Amino acid sequence: MSADSVRMAVDSQRCIGGGQCEMLEPEVFLVDDDEAVSSVIGSGVLPRARADVVVHRCPGAAVSIVGPES
Amino acid sequence: MRSEAVGCDAVVWAARERSEQERETPAERVLAVERLSAPVDLSDPATFARGIPQAAFAEMRSRPTLSWTPPRGGDRAGFWSVTRHEPLSEVSRNTEVYSSAVGHIQIYDIDSDALSARASMIDLDPPVHTRLRRLVSSAFTPRHVQSYEAAVRTRIGARLDALAAAGGGDWVEAVAAPIPIGVICDIMGVPESDHDYMIELTDHLVAGTSSRPLEPNAYGNTTELRLLPFNSPAAHGINEYARTLGERRRVEPADDLVTKLIEAEVDGERLSDAEFTNFFRLMVFAGNETTRASMAHLALHLVEFAEEFERVRRDPSLTAQAAEEVIRYSSPILYFRRTVTRDTVLQDTPLHAGDKVVMWYAAANFDSEVFHDPLRFDVARPLRPPNVAFGGGGAHFCLGAPLARLEVAILIEEILQRGLCLEIASDPVYVDSNFVNGIEHLEVALR
Repeated sequence: MSADSVRMAVDSQRCIGGGQCEMLEPEVFLVDDDEAVSSVIGSGVLPRARADVVVHRCPGAAVSIVGPES
Repeated sequence: MRSEAVGCDAVVWAARERSEQERETPAERVLAVERLSAPVDLSDPATFARGIPQAAFAEMRSRPTLSWTPPRGGDRAGFWSVTRHEPLSEVSRNTEVYSSAVGHIQIYDIDSDALSARASMIDLDPPVHTRLRRLVSSAFTPRHVQSYEAAVRTRIGARLDALAAAGGGDWVEAVAAPIPIGVICDIMGVPESDHDYMIELTDHLVAGTSSRPLEPNAYGNTTELRLLPFNSPAAHGINEYARTLGERRRVEPADDLVTKLIEAEVDGERLSDAEFTNFFRLMVFAGNETTRASMAHLALHLVEFAEEFERVRRDPSLTAQAAEEVIRYSSPILYFRRTVTRDTVLQDTPLHAGDKVVMWYAAANFDSEVFHDPLRFDVARPLRPPNVAFGGGGAHFCLGAPLARLEVAILIEEILQRGLCLEIASDPVYVDSNFVNGIEHLEVALR
């Protein structure tokens, strides 16, 4: 992705399994059906603007940007 | 609105109260006399008898500090009201400073033994809260909720067709009440034949926030009322129902949440009897009274803002935003309270450990700093920043938000697709509560 892409992470202790991240970015987040905890899947990389939306929408404040893509 | 004012003379009142308390420093005493009392009595259900007190909330939002309501009735302390969007989100997200487990989440105080007898996850803080929430959260993710869509649509279609065939009736009884209870009961595993009983019981729970309580021995109750949620004997009825259903599922497991709760283990232990019944009661109440309130208000919106719904009819891609606007505008849960765990400052207001802080979602949802022209009903209102009808974010963000959004959106779709013409035939009768912005009765004509 572009230079503006960032790597995502989920704090599993804070995650409340609301699934907002998966709804917004199903290629990057998956909420486990049994544990109801989200985790990063695939490349784990998103364009900065879309990453900000996920961080903002996460009700548990569990999603964060951990750094640039590479 | 101002004619209902209580404690208008903030300076005199605060000075009198503070003189009785010697622990304050002089600086705090100065701040104390600047306390501004809320312009209406927010602890009185009558203040909400005609819906959200918009004028009073607007005045409170415009103040530099939080507003104060002095103690009333048997309460030991008054409370601070948060009415702006930004500090509300701060309270909602910071569970260490603003606790759900220390003190009650309703305005009135209850004893600690009553607190623990009632406690469900909504009355707890992380990490205990989060462990319990995860038992059920996978059933309510946006992805999982999509699997309920067909059943929800069928339920809604049948109710609308029946009401239209009758030419109208009580919108709450015919549409707003049975749909959400039907959906949540399906998910929990409560059979259809018992849905009306669940409506009756949860209605009485809300009545526990009103001035018209039930007889203490209703539903065969023998428990002290102070130990029951909403001080209501109906809570006993729900607990007993849950226990019976739980027993049945122990013998005959099914693909439902009651079975899941019966079989669940938290830290290697099964839920206790009280944990299970409190969980069941929370789910039935929260999945029911809230969406019902939005659906009841929707009838009023359809008439009052008909041109906005005409926009949705022409452009169905606006449906999700329209549903969100119905939810913002109705703000079904008016408030939740938190209790301060250590001295802090919020919106230039010094708060002490033990202070009660009340998040008025119904006020923050009309904050003009966040929502352009907030009193305008706008089906194309941007979804960000989010409204706080489901809470201000953080651990307690409404578990059922995706389900509520789906239900309201489908109801809008099905009304518009049928080309139904709705007329309001009676003034809405609001639920007697300062906690739920519900409507009890609303006669409509439907063609």
